[in-house]
Amino acid sequence: MKAWWLRPAVRLLAAIVLPFAVPAIITALIWALPGDPAEIICPREICGGTDALAARWNLDGGPWKFFSAWVQGALRGDFGNSWRLQQGVPVADLLREAVPTTSILILAGLVPLVLGAIGAATGIIPRRADPAASAIGLVPAVVFALLCAALIELNYGAESFNLEATRFRILLGAVVLGFSDGAFAGATTGVRALFRTELKQRYVGVALLRGERPLVNMLPNVTPALAGQLRARVLHLLSGTVVVEVVLRINGIGDLLWGGTLLQDFGVVLAAATAFAALSGALLLLQATTEIVVALVVRRSPVIPAAVVDQAQRRAAS
Amino acid sequence: MIPRKLALGIGLACLVVLMGLGLLAPAHLSVPDLARVYEGPGDMFPFGSDQRGRPLLEYAQQGASVILFPSLFAGVVVGAMGVVGGLLRCVGSARVDTAVQAFGEIVGSLPRMVVILVVALLIPAGDRGLLPLALAWAILASPGAMDEAASVAERLGGARFVEALRAHGFSWSRVFLYHIVLLNLRPVVVRQAAETAMQVTFLEIALSYLAAQENQSSFTHADDIKSWANLLEIGYPSLVLDVPTSHALVLGLALVGLVTVMSLMLSSAARAR
Repeated sequence: MKAWWLRPAVRLLAAIVLPFAVPAIITALIWALPGDPAEIICPREICGGTDALAARWNLDGGPWKFFSAWVQGALRGDFGNSWRLQQGVPVADLLREAVPTTSILILAGLVPLVLGAIGAATGIIPRRADPAASAIGLVPAVVFALLCAALIELNYGAESFNLEATRFRILLGAVVLGFSDGAFAGATTGVRALFRTELKQRYVGVALLRGERPLVNMLPNVTPALAGQLRARVLHLLSGTVVVEVVLRINGIGDLLWGGTLLQDFGVVLAAATAFAALSGALLLLQATTEIVVALVVRRSPVIPAAVVDQAQRRAAS
Repeated sequence: MIPRKLALGIGLACLVVLMGLGLLAPAHLSVPDLARVYEGPGDMFPFGSDQRGRPLLEYAQQGASVILFPSLFAGVVVGAMGVVGGLLRCVGSARVDTAVQAFGEIVGSLPRMVVILVVALLIPAGDRGLLPLALAWAILASPGAMDEAASVAERLGGARFVEALRAHGFSWSRVFLYHIVLLNLRPVVVRQAAETAMQVTFLEIALSYLAAQENQSSFTHADDIKSWANLLEIGYPSLVLDVPTSHALVLGLALVGLVTVMSLMLSSAARAR
């Protein structure tokens, strides 16, 4: 592709649009479903104040009124209230509790992936270890999580929800996220393949002849691809959090999203899905920024230092 | 490395078992027989019974019927999209490449499970089934397949490869269908299709297990149908309590293994020479 800026531009655009597109689509879905949206919260047969409730929750003026009010509130940190899961409770409070837990889980889940990637890039993890990693990666997250849930119950029994057990849950959750569904295998084989391809480039051969280390030379050039792989891995972990958090009973955004979906709690689903979209947008932004920085700084024609030019001229003169 | 023909044989055998289970699935479980609760495979052939004395074979059959068509359909969709991705690269148009990249960027920018759950919200309670979710999963998996197939086509020479074969006098259909798709894209397309079929199966198990854990209806099948996730749910207590349900857990894991082996063997059978 000749225009280097096209890929980062598409990513930047997607990063900006995503956090607004997701709640917009969900809002459209609310009105696409049969029946009055207000009746999801308060069916007319059961409770009498459906119209008043609809007016208070901006459900009486159509999808645009609801969406614009919701976005304005969300920008101020007010995500509305839960419709069914914990009816009336502000979703911001639920998110405040869930986001840190999921963040810790994701960061802990990233540890084996980053270590695996570093090991593959430096050759510490040999290629012959790949089949073993792939075999472990064949285990689906739900099966892995089930075995870990059993381990927690066996270790803690009735006290499996105290602080220590919760930490153990998050640790095991990170292990499940890091190794199931081919996460670790993907990280190691992906990074290894990337460096093996780059190793065939002529500039690496020249660097080797000059006695330089290939990794240092390759790193600036493979950084955009590594950023892309990191984004894919984090997205994979985010996707896995739903299963891991529900099976291991960890109170995170995945658990919140699942509960909201199961009970058709659009208040919770809107906020949780937007949180995931915002995270995905941030990852796209990171990748686009990396690509732009590499294109502008690393891939520009190298500037030959004046001293080197002088030396070359002296040699030519002599 | 397992020989190609052997891999194909094992893969097809797994597929036949899966189809046999799915197509012979009963519409409803047998009448409970409380005298035969939690019987092992030795007492109730071939897989034992559940907490109401109903044969676990029926769980395996109904679970197979839930995943059979949607997972194969998702595999076919991803395979077809992979072929399209590879062929588009052979066209050699920068605009088409940019459009494909933009499609992949937008579709692949959200965690898959989030999209699946949003799609699940759309399905009315009376029409629950795996097919819409499998189709959504296939669309989400397509950019990866298209990208990989496009890389293969590019390594092949892309538009220059097509031009060279045309210069040899080959027809368009022979160039595209035989030389590009069958000889070169086949390993990628079959592997992506087989992996997607496996992932859809795992998705069904995960969604059904999560719903069963909360005592709610699954998004993937009607309430009177049992999924393989129910086998895991029945078998799980045997891990932590003194409940004789380990045979259900083993059966559930064996069925997961069956699908995994099928996917691996079909991918291996289609690998490049």
